Amino acid sequence: MNRLFLFFSLLIGNTAVSQSVILTFTHEVNHQPMRANKAYYTAQGDTFTITKFKYYLSNFSFISETEENIRLSPEYFLVSEDSAASKKVVLTGLPLGRYKAVSFMIGVDSIMNCTGAQSGALDPIYGMFWTWNSGYIMAKLEGTSPASRVPDHSLQFHIGGYRGAHQSQRMVRLNAPFVVAAEKTAVINLVADAATWFNGATPIRFSETSGFMTPGTIGDRIADNYSHMFSVKSK
Amino acid sequence: MNQKATYVIMAFCLFLLGISLRGRGPGPGVTYVTLKWPDSLPKPVYDFSKNPLTKEGIALGRYLFYDPKLSRDSSVSCGFCHQQFAAFGHFDHPLAHGVYGRMGTRSVPTLFNLIWQKDFMWDGGVNHLDIQPMSPITAENEMDMPLNELIERLKCNEKYQQLFKAAYGTEEVTSQRMFKALAQFMATMISFDSKYDSVKRKEPGVAFTAEEAGGYSTFQQKCAGCHKEPFFTDFSARNNGLPYSPNMNDMGRMRITNNTGDYMKFKVPSLRNILVSAPYMHDGRFFDIFQVFAMYDHGQEKGSTVDPLVRGMQLSPKEQRQLYMFLNTLTDTHFLKNKEFSEVMIDD
Repeated sequence: MNRLFLFFSLLIGNTAVSQSVILTFTHEVNHQPMRANKAYYTAQGDTFTITKFKYYLSNFSFISETEENIRLSPEYFLVSEDSAASKKVVLTGLPLGRYKAVSFMIGVDSIMNCTGAQSGALDPIYGMFWTWNSGYIMAKLEGTSPASRVPDHSLQFHIGGYRGAHQSQRMVRLNAPFVVAAEKTAVINLVADAATWFNGATPIRFSETSGFMTPGTIGDRIADNYSHMFSVKSK
Repeated sequence: MNQKATYVIMAFCLFLLGISLRGRGPGPGVTYVTLKWPDSLPKPVYDFSKNPLTKEGIALGRYLFYDPKLSRDSSVSCGFCHQQFAAFGHFDHPLAHGVYGRMGTRSVPTLFNLIWQKDFMWDGGVNHLDIQPMSPITAENEMDMPLNELIERLKCNEKYQQLFKAAYGTEEVTSQRMFKALAQFMATMISFDSKYDSVKRKEPGVAFTAEEAGGYSTFQQKCAGCHKEPFFTDFSARNNGLPYSPNMNDMGRMRITNNTGDYMKFKVPSLRNILVSAPYMHDGRFFDIFQVFAMYDHGQEKGSTVDPLVRGMQLSPKEQRQLYMFLNTLTDTHFLKNKEFSEVMIDD
C-alpha cells in the first residue's frame, strides 16, 4: 500500500524534487523599450520602425554550478511582441539546486521542421511556417524604413532554413546565477534587443537589403547578428 | 480491502492518463484501418505511428478534400484540380486553377502512392505529406485561404464538429487534426493494379502483347533510369532537357536550394496512369505523350544540369509507338474508378 501511495504521489506531482523556472522577455531597441511606430536608428544611420517581432525558442537547458548540463524535455515557445502572455515562458521539471547559466536555441530544431503537422506553438496558423519550401520561420521582424527601396518602404525579415548550407538555428548561453528551491519559483528576466539584427558582425543597410524571406546567406548572417540579442536584465 | 483500493487507484490513474492523452490521437470507438500493398514494395516513408489510420479519419479527410469551403470564396476544393479519373491530376489543364479565375504557374501533379514519396511539389520543396496541402490552400493563385481563417470557418460548421468528434473524440478543430485527416485520405490512394502489375504478378491469362513487350524493353533501356520500377519514378529531381520557358521563368528546384546545380530540375513524375493524366511536364506544355517522346528525341535544350541519362536520347517512330502501347498497360482502372476515393456531396 505504501509503495502504491508513493507511485500515486509521483504521478500527481513530483513534490520537492524539482521546481519550475520562469523566464520573462522584454523587447528593446537600442536599449529603449520597443514601441509600435516609434522611430529607431541602426548603427549605419537608417531610421526604422518595427511592426512585427517574434521568434521561436526551444531546447532549453540549464548549467549548474558544478557544470552539469540539465536538459529539459523538448518544448517550443513562440515569443511575440504583440502578446504579453508569450513573453513569460514557464519551464518545469528543473531539479533543485544552484545554477549559473541558461542555454537555449533561437528557432526550431531540424527534426521538428520535417515531421509533419504540429500543434501548440508550432501550429502553422501563426504564420511562422513556409509553405512553398517547408520549414519554420525561426524569427520574424517586420517594419518600415524610408531607406527601404520597395514601394511601401517596408522591411520584411523572415529568417529560416534548417538544412544543408543554410541552417538558421542559433544557440544562446547567458550567465545568470539563480537558485531553484522547493518553496520558491525562480524568475530570470531577459531582454531581447532588436537593433542587434542589423548592427552585428554583418551590418545591414536597408537601401540594399530591405527584406529576406528564404533560406540563404543573408538570413544566416542576420541570425548570427541576432544570436547576440539576448541579455540578462540588470536590476 | 487493499486490493480494492488498488483497483480504484489504478482506474483513476488510467482516467488521468486518458485526460492527458485527450486530443492527441484518434478518439474512442474509432475503427482502425490497415492499408494493403504488394509485399514486394519497400516500407513507406510515411510514419503511420504518428497518424494512425482510422475509418473516421479517412472519412474526414475525404470530406475536406472535396470541400470548396477550404478556399477563400468557397469555389475551389482540392478535388477541383485533383480529379480521380485523371489519377488526381487535372484533365486537359496545363496549369492549376484557383479562386476568382486565377491561374497557377505549374501543372497539377497526380496523387497516388504518396506514402512512399519523401518530398512533394514539382520542386520537392515540401518535406512531408501532412503539410503538403498547406501549400495549395494558402497560395494566392490557388485556394488563397489563410490557415487561421480556415480553422475558424471549420470550427463554426456543424458537420465538421461531428466529423472531427468521430475521428478524434472531441469537436476541437485544429490545423494539425485537419492536415492529418487529409493525409489519411491521401495515404489510401494506392495504385498497383494495372495490367503491368498483373503481368508482373504472373496472373493467369495476362501477358504483354508483342508491341507492349517491345515498349517495355525500350522503357527499360531508355526510361527506367529515372522512372524506376515499381513506382516508375525514383522520386529524385532532375533536368530532363526540357527547354527553359522565358514566359514562365520557372527554374525548378534551384529556387528551393539556391544552388545553380539544380537549374531546371523538377521531380521525376511517375509514369503510372500517365496516359490518363495529360498534359505533361511541370508547366503542362505537352498535351500529347508523343510530344514528350519528340522532346526527348530531338527537342532537348543543352545545359550543364541536363541529366546524362537523357542526353542524346533517340526514339525511333517504332520505339515511340511501342512505348505508347506499354504506357497504356500502366493505367490502373480499378484505382481510377475506386468508389472509396470518389467525390462526396458537400451540401452546405
